[in-house]
Amino acid sequence: MHALIPRLVVPALALALVGCGDGAPSPSTAETPESTMSQDAAQVESTTVRLLAHDSFVLSEQLITDLKAETGIDLQIISGSDAGTMVAGAVLAAGNPTADVMFGVDNTLISRAVDAGVFEPYTSPELASVVPELREDTAGGVVTPIDYGDVCINIDDAALEAAGVPAPSTLDDLIDPRYRDMLVVQDPGTSSPGLAFLLATIARYGDAWTDYWAALRDNGVSVAGSWTDAYYGEFSGGGEGTRPLVASYATSPPAEIVYAEDPKPEVPSTSVMTDGCYRQVEYAGVLAGTGEPDGARTVVDWLLTSEVQADVPLSMFVFPAREGVPLPDVFTKFAATVEEPLSLPADEVAANLTDWLSEWGAVMGR
Amino acid sequence: MGGGDGALTPPRWLRWSWVAPAAFLLVFLAYPLVVLIVTVTRTSEGALLDRLASPVIWQVTALATVQALMSTVLALVVGLPLANVTSRYRYRGRAFAQAVVTVPFVLPTVVVALAFRSVVGVGPSQGFWIVVLAHAYVNIAVVTRIVGAQWAQHSGDYELVARTLGATRTRAFIDVTLPSLRSAIAASAAVVFVFSFTSLGIVLLLGDASTRTLESQVLRQTSVLLDFPGAAATALVQLVVVTFVLLLGAAAARRAPARRSRPVSLRPLPPSAIGRAAVLATAGIGMLIVLVPVLALVITSLRGSDGWTLTWWTSLSSIDAGTTRLAPPAAAIATSLVLATVTALLAALVGGLAALTVLTPGRPRLVALIAVVPLGVSAATLGLGMLLAFGRPPLDLRASGLLIPIAHSLVAIPLVVAVVAPGVRSTDPRLASVAATLGATPSRAFWTAYGPVLRIVMVASAALAGAVSLGEFGAAAFLGRAASPTVPVQIVRLLGRPGEQSLGVAAVLAVILVIVTLAVVLIVDRWSAPARSSVRAPATVTP
Repeated sequence: MHALIPRLVVPALALALVGCGDGAPSPSTAETPESTMSQDAAQVESTTVRLLAHDSFVLSEQLITDLKAETGIDLQIISGSDAGTMVAGAVLAAGNPTADVMFGVDNTLISRAVDAGVFEPYTSPELASVVPELREDTAGGVVTPIDYGDVCINIDDAALEAAGVPAPSTLDDLIDPRYRDMLVVQDPGTSSPGLAFLLATIARYGDAWTDYWAALRDNGVSVAGSWTDAYYGEFSGGGEGTRPLVASYATSPPAEIVYAEDPKPEVPSTSVMTDGCYRQVEYAGVLAGTGEPDGARTVVDWLLTSEVQADVPLSMFVFPAREGVPLPDVFTKFAATVEEPLSLPADEVAANLTDWLSEWGAVMGR
Repeated sequence: MGGGDGALTPPRWLRWSWVAPAAFLLVFLAYPLVVLIVTVTRTSEGALLDRLASPVIWQVTALATVQALMSTVLALVVGLPLANVTSRYRYRGRAFAQAVVTVPFVLPTVVVALAFRSVVGVGPSQGFWIVVLAHAYVNIAVVTRIVGAQWAQHSGDYELVARTLGATRTRAFIDVTLPSLRSAIAASAAVVFVFSFTSLGIVLLLGDASTRTLESQVLRQTSVLLDFPGAAATALVQLVVVTFVLLLGAAAARRAPARRSRPVSLRPLPPSAIGRAAVLATAGIGMLIVLVPVLALVITSLRGSDGWTLTWWTSLSSIDAGTTRLAPPAAAIATSLVLATVTALLAALVGGLAALTVLTPGRPRLVALIAVVPLGVSAATLGLGMLLAFGRPPLDLRASGLLIPIAHSLVAIPLVVAVVAPGVRSTDPRLASVAATLGATPSRAFWTAYGPVLRIVMVASAALAGAVSLGEFGAAAFLGRAASPTVPVQIVRLLGRPGEQSLGVAAVLAVILVIVTLAVVLIVDRWSAPARSSVRAPATVTP
C-alpha cells in the first residue's frame, strides 16, 4: 500500500516543476524512474490490467478469455466515450492515469497525447510484423499502431442511378453541379469522420481548401452533427434520408452486409469513392504512471498478435496493422482498397487544428 | 417567507437537514471541479482571462439565451394545460397520460433527434426552430411534473370564492390560480431554460450555427482541440449565466402569494360536456404530440428492407453475441434499472433534505439554492473533474459502480429541489402548530403537517430523478464500465455503425426504454396515489 504514495507524489511534483518552469511540454521521462521501480513483478500472474478504449472498441470475448489463460492477465475494458473525450481525459490524468493501457488514440490526436506525457514510451517487438508503411509510425517510439482505416465518400448506387448521374470518382467531382444537394458530411468540430474529411481536403488542396469548401457549400453540401445523424438521418443508403453521398468509412459497405437482415444480400447497396480518402491509424500505448507496466506491455503485444488482428476486421471494421493477416471474404470483396490515401503529419494537425476549424466555420457559417 | 412565519417549531433534525446535501455537493461537485481547475492551470499555458475576452463566447451566449427563452415559452404553452389535466382530474387513462408525458425526457437525445427527423421530414431538418421544438418536446415532463405536483394540491376553494364574488372563469384563473402556481411555474421555467441553454445532444444533431450553446463549445474545446483553458472560460460563463437565471427563478418563486394548500383527491371531470371534452381533448392531444415520434421508433423497430419484420426484436438476444460490445439486452435493462433506482433514492434523499431547508430559519436555507447549481456546471467539465477526482487511485470509485448514480444524482437533485421546495413552501404550517399545541412532539407535528405533501412531491421527484438516470448517456459512457453498459449507451453504440440491423435493434432498445419508463412511472405514481385519494381536503381550511 505504501507504494501508492510515491506514485502519487512523484508525478505531481514533476508536473508542479514543469508548471513553474518554462512551460515546455513535459517529456514523459520525468515519470519513468518511478514506474520502472515496480518491474520486479516480472511474471504477470493473475494481474488485472485496465484497458482504456473508446466506445467503438470491440473484440471477441474468447480472445480475452484466452489472454487470461495464457498470461494470467484479467483484462478490464474501461470505456472512455468517444476517442476525443477519452484522450482529453487521458491528457488531464497524465502521470496518474485512470487505466494501464490505452487503445484507440488516432493520428489526428496522437501528437497532443504524446506531448502531454500520456504515454510511457513502449513499442511492441511485434512491430516488425506490421505492414511496412506503418512500421515507423510510432510517434517516435512511444506507441504501437494496431489498425487503420480510411474515411471515404460512400455512394448509394441505386439512388444515383435513379437520378441518372454517374458515381463521382474524385473530390473535384463533388463540386460539380450534377451532384448538387447530394452530399452530406459531418461537422469536423464534433465528428471524427467529419474531421478526417476536412483534413483530406486540406491535404489535397493545400491553402486553397477554403475555396473548395466554399464551392461545396454553394453546391448544397449538408453538414450533420455526427456520423449517426449523417448516415441514418440524411444518407439515402442508410436510413430515410435523401442524399446519395455521405462521408463514412471504406469499410461501411461490408458492414452493411454483416449487419443486414437474414438472408444477407449478395452485394452491398453502397460503394466507396476511393479518391480523397483520409487514412486513420489507431494506436495503443502504455499509460505513464501505470502500476502494471509489464501487464500493460503484454496487452500492447497481445493487440498485435495474429489472433487479435484477425478478429479486428469484423469486430471494428478496420484493417489489421499486421502484415499477412487473412481478411474475411466480405472484406476482400467489398471493402474498398485505397491505393493513395491522404494524410497530414500529426504535428501539423495539432498546430493548425484550431485555426482550420474556425476558418471552416467561417466558410460554412457554422 | 418559508419557515419565517414562526408557526412551525422545526424538529431538531430538520435544523440539521442541510448537512447531508451540503456535504454531498462539497464532495461530488466542488471537489472534482477544484481538482480539474488545479490540473488545468498547472498543465496549460494561456490565461483564462484572455479566453474570456474572446467574442465567440459572448456571441454564443446571446444566441443560446434567445433559443432557450423560446424553448421555455413553448414548453410552458404545451406543458401547463397538460399539467392541469394529468394531475387534477379523475378519468380512465389519466395515470397513463401522466406517464406518457415523461417519456420524451427519458429518450436519449440521439433517438429523439432521429425520431424527430423522421417525423418532421428531411427538408429544413436543421436549424433554430427544430431545436426549439425538440427542446420543448423533451422538457414537457419538467413543466408537467413540477407544476402538476403543486396544482394537484389545489382544492379549488379559492377559485370558487372568486367565482362566487362574480369573477369569470378566465378572471379567476388569471387572478387566483396562476399566481398561486407562480412558484412552481417559475421553478420549472428556470429548469427548462437551463436545460435548453446548456443543451448538447439536440444542438449537435439538429442544430446549426444559430443554435450553438456554450456546452457544445466546451465539448469542442475539450474533445477536439484539447484547449482546456478555453473550455474552462466557456464553462465559467455558462455557470454564471445559469446561476443568475436560477436565482431569478428562485426570487420569482419567493414572491409568489401565500396559498396554504393540502393534498386533495383527484376531482371528477367537469360536469358540462364542453368542459369534459376540453380535459379529455387536451390529454389526448398531449399524448399524441408525445407519441408520434415514439410511433416512428416503433415502426423503425418493425421494418426491414423487405417490409414488416420481427427480426430486430428476435435478434435482441443474439446480436453481437460473443463480443465485448454488447451486454445482453436484459442485462443492460437491469443495469439501467439498478442505476435509476439508486439515483432516485440518492437524489430524492439528498435533494429532499436540501429542499426541506426552506422550512428552517437562517442561513441553512441557502443550501436549497446551492443545490440547484449543478444544472449550470458544464457536463463535459464535471465529467472530467469526476474522472480525475474519483476515477483513479487513491479514490477509484469507478470500479464500485457508484460513479454513475452519483453523476446522475447531481443532474437530478436540482429537479428534486424544484419539485419539493414549492410543495413544502405552500403547505399550511399551522397544522403543525395545532398538533404541537395538542401535545405532539415537534417531529410528530412536522409529519402531521408535511407528511401528506411530502409523500406526493417526493414520489414525483424520485420518478423524475429515475427518469434522468434512465435516459442519460454522457456520464454513463464516460464514467461507466464497458462491460455493463446502460440501455442508452447500447443504443448509441449500435447507431455508431452501418447496417439495417444496427438501426433496427437500436430502435427496439429505444422502444424497450419507452416501455420500461412507462412501467416505472406508472408503478411509482400508483404507489403515491393512495395518499392522494385518502386525504380529503378539509373544506374549512381557508384564511
